[in-house]
Amino acid sequence: MYPFQFRKLFIICTIFYGCMAHCQDMLIEAESFDNPGGWVIDPQFEQQMGSPYLLAHGMGRPVENAKTKIKFSTDGMYHIWVRTKNWVPGNWEAPGRFQLKVNGTTVGKTLGLRSGWGWEYVDSVSVTSKQIDLELVDLTGFNGRVDAIYFSTEKKEPPTSKGKLTEWRKTIKAEPNVPPRIESYDLVVVGGGIAGCAASIAAAEQGLSVALIHDRPFLGGNASEEIRVHTLGIYGNFERILKKLDTEHYPNGSADAKLDQKKRDDNVKSYENIALFLNHRAYDAKAEDNTIQYVDARHTSTGERIRFIAPRFVDSTGDGWIGYWAGAEFSYGRESVDTYGEDWEEHGELWSPKEPDNAVMGSSVLWGSKETDKGHTFPEVPWAMPVARQYAKVAGEWQWEFSRPDLNQIDDAEEIRDHMLRAIYGSFYNAKQDSTNANRKLEWVSYLVGKRESRRLVGDHIFTFNDAKEGRKFPDGVVIETRDVDIHYQTVLEDEENPDFISEALFYKTPEYYIPYRSLYSRNISNLFMAGRNFSCSHAGLGGPRVMRTTGQMGAAVGLAAALCKKYNVGPREIYTGYLNEYLALIEEQKFEKIPETKR
Amino acid sequence: MKFLSAILFVFTLFLTNGESEFRESFSTETYNDILDKAPEYYLLEWKAGTKLSKRKAGLFIKIDSFDDQEVAVMVNGNQDPVLYASDVSTPVCADGECKLMHIRLYWTLLGEYAGFDTYPKLPLTKHDHDEFRKEDYEKLHKLLADDKSILKRRRIDELVEEPVMRNVNGVDALSGATVAEVKESVVSGALYSCYVAWHLTHGTIRDEIKTHTLSTLNANMLTDMLYSQNTDYQLFALEKMDSSQFIEHHSQTVRIFKTAVPLVRSIIAKEMPEKFRNRPELQRPFWEAFPEIDIGSRSLLLRHLESAPPYVGDIVSAQLGSMTKNQIAVFLEFLSPKKHTPELLKNLHSFADSENEAYSYLVKNYLEEHVP
Repeated sequence: MYPFQFRKLFIICTIFYGCMAHCQDMLIEAESFDNPGGWVIDPQFEQQMGSPYLLAHGMGRPVENAKTKIKFSTDGMYHIWVRTKNWVPGNWEAPGRFQLKVNGTTVGKTLGLRSGWGWEYVDSVSVTSKQIDLELVDLTGFNGRVDAIYFSTEKKEPPTSKGKLTEWRKTIKAEPNVPPRIESYDLVVVGGGIAGCAASIAAAEQGLSVALIHDRPFLGGNASEEIRVHTLGIYGNFERILKKLDTEHYPNGSADAKLDQKKRDDNVKSYENIALFLNHRAYDAKAEDNTIQYVDARHTSTGERIRFIAPRFVDSTGDGWIGYWAGAEFSYGRESVDTYGEDWEEHGELWSPKEPDNAVMGSSVLWGSKETDKGHTFPEVPWAMPVARQYAKVAGEWQWEFSRPDLNQIDDAEEIRDHMLRAIYGSFYNAKQDSTNANRKLEWVSYLVGKRESRRLVGDHIFTFNDAKEGRKFPDGVVIETRDVDIHYQTVLEDEENPDFISEALFYKTPEYYIPYRSLYSRNISNLFMAGRNFSCSHAGLGGPRVMRTTGQMGAAVGLAAALCKKYNVGPREIYTGYLNEYLALIEEQKFEKIPETKR
Repeated sequence: MKFLSAILFVFTLFLTNGESEFRESFSTETYNDILDKAPEYYLLEWKAGTKLSKRKAGLFIKIDSFDDQEVAVMVNGNQDPVLYASDVSTPVCADGECKLMHIRLYWTLLGEYAGFDTYPKLPLTKHDHDEFRKEDYEKLHKLLADDKSILKRRRIDELVEEPVMRNVNGVDALSGATVAEVKESVVSGALYSCYVAWHLTHGTIRDEIKTHTLSTLNANMLTDMLYSQNTDYQLFALEKMDSSQFIEHHSQTVRIFKTAVPLVRSIIAKEMPEKFRNRPELQRPFWEAFPEIDIGSRSLLLRHLESAPPYVGDIVSAQLGSMTKNQIAVFLEFLSPKKHTPELLKNLHSFADSENEAYSYLVKNYLEEHVP
């Protein structure tokens, strides 16, 4: 028996929508299943494909069925469609195959076969009991995916194109534009990576009421136990805060990330004035007169929506979503070498191109395997071999990274993640053909994309490679770093025999360098801070400070600035133009823990 | 510590007159001033009949406590520089024990590693005095050819210590992956020799050699670089060529576009339309190479669709099967009914009707929308 707890499902029954008279239909969002079983909720690509979805991430072993109960208002014969996709179309059996069970009986054909997200017709079923049990049956363990299941008494497939589908969803859910719940805070921080957490703590310590919105169950972003990248960089002015959040220097991909996870989650949750909205993904932000009015977010499984209102916002989404929705200026890709004079002759085009292009540092998906005391098989993965080719490995490190000029790290993130999954499964399959790996078992493969670079929002100052190279001093240099400027490129550029998912790093040794506060707020959106990889910088400028202690410093710096913004009721820019000395003094002051009056 | 060991070693050599003996023995081993066959380990092409002569270039490698080692330029019959070479002898010290390493190093005209020769009577040895085997020399060659080696950024003492995994907040400690990378790239038992050789080869001499080359650069040398298979030479030549030289060397540029590494192709893909702006017929071979080139270069070519000659629609539409989803999308977005030719429509229909093409639905949708 499964402990069915009826959460609020988006099981919407509408009459007359797209139907002839007396037609009934119902949309079930897969992520809202009562019991997802072994399937995981993947909300990463909502902005591209329309919704969080369920993913059968079994690393080659079929996962437990996802189950839910559905109540119908009317009995009858219903046609069923599933919104899914074959994530590796080609001349092989689709890797992510699954089936649907209704009341314990398999219905229709094998699913997960269509190229591109869209609806697959399952079959028709007769509903006589007004309630049915629905199950998703994973057949492969290799990342089958289900976005939604649609029942209709009329055999008319729902729309596929993104625009029409969004409208259709809104209509069928009878969802008004304004979320039913509205919350107000002094500061709304979107993105619970190290930068967002640091911003929240710094602001909360100064007495602000803070909402921290994060689309995962764990805080830390790339440093979380779900992605497992260790934090690099120095603490700068914010050691006390960052030690609450950072990681030890375990190898990337190590399960040791779990130890730091608990520390981080506990620390953030210890602040009473941080309202933590885990499993909430922002989906819109609205600016009027270049001032953000609100950010809307949706729970990644229940679909519950909340509108967040605040005088100031922090974009720590990594992809710069809040700025993007609000109309903030941003950049993407590599500037020409002449734009900011970021030449490094030794590496020429690899470092900074003569002509601008869309090349960026890639995303990683980390993974690992372990030796056991018994034999373990790993299935054939013909769909992975065109990517992995002859490459054979038993674990991945930071070099497992993918970027390609035809792919955008935001728009094509799902394809990038899937390419890495093919690389991982194929390379592990190759390694397993070696008898010395007979007892080796695939232990962990992330399904989250660990991004390095995406949108960079433009601030009053654009931090460049030269700022780092020359150690330029700024009156508002609130973030300090000594780490080399480190830019990656795909090794396939230098040799087509190399796997296309392996990168190389170019390191430029710098003196101590400083990031000015002016790189941490938007140039054209008056109440938007940014902290994290989406801060204001050039492609080459991002190379050094993109690591997580540095982005954490950015977060802490904007959290403190937000406190002064509240005190004087001004925007981020005015802290630089009018209150810089007080801001710098506050940064000094916060370095040491204060003993509360009550405990003195 | 290592430095002190080296000084002590050299001092001992002097006391025993060891160095003069060594020098004598080494000089009989050094290569003569003519190079008429390819170095034993060599990255560049060696044309039959090549004969290079040694000339002074005024370049030296400085080695602590040792004489400067001269770097000579090797010139061809036209007196044009082709290579740089140096007969290097340098102390290698490990655990307080030093010995000399003898090797003849070669650099390209741009100061990159080109290869090495060894001296039959003075083979390289490992820490335990075992001589290098053939596979060890090959591994050293591969290591020296890697200008971004892990050895570049690490001190030697960092490379011999065991990695520290925890309790190192704030310290950029060596990870297990780094240690594995070092082991994979150096000759087993010869870390110090590898380290010294790599840093000699890739030290400040690189820039000095390049500067020397630039001071003597002429059209013949540039042409030779363009016709070389060496990536750095190709990039350098492409960078220096103006539009008229692109036209003069059109066939070779096309050849490079088809055969070079993606990095070189990407430069041509970005610049080709501008270089051949008024010569649409000269652009054709680049577009026709579409199925032969890498995905990235295809995307860069597709950026020029709007300004491309009219025949490009026909060429690209015949290659939909080799394009990624986004590339097909970019191409379809560029198309409009007025760009439809019978050939293009035939190609679109053929692709849309194919059952084996994963992205045929994109073209099908396009046809449904734009072709009644």
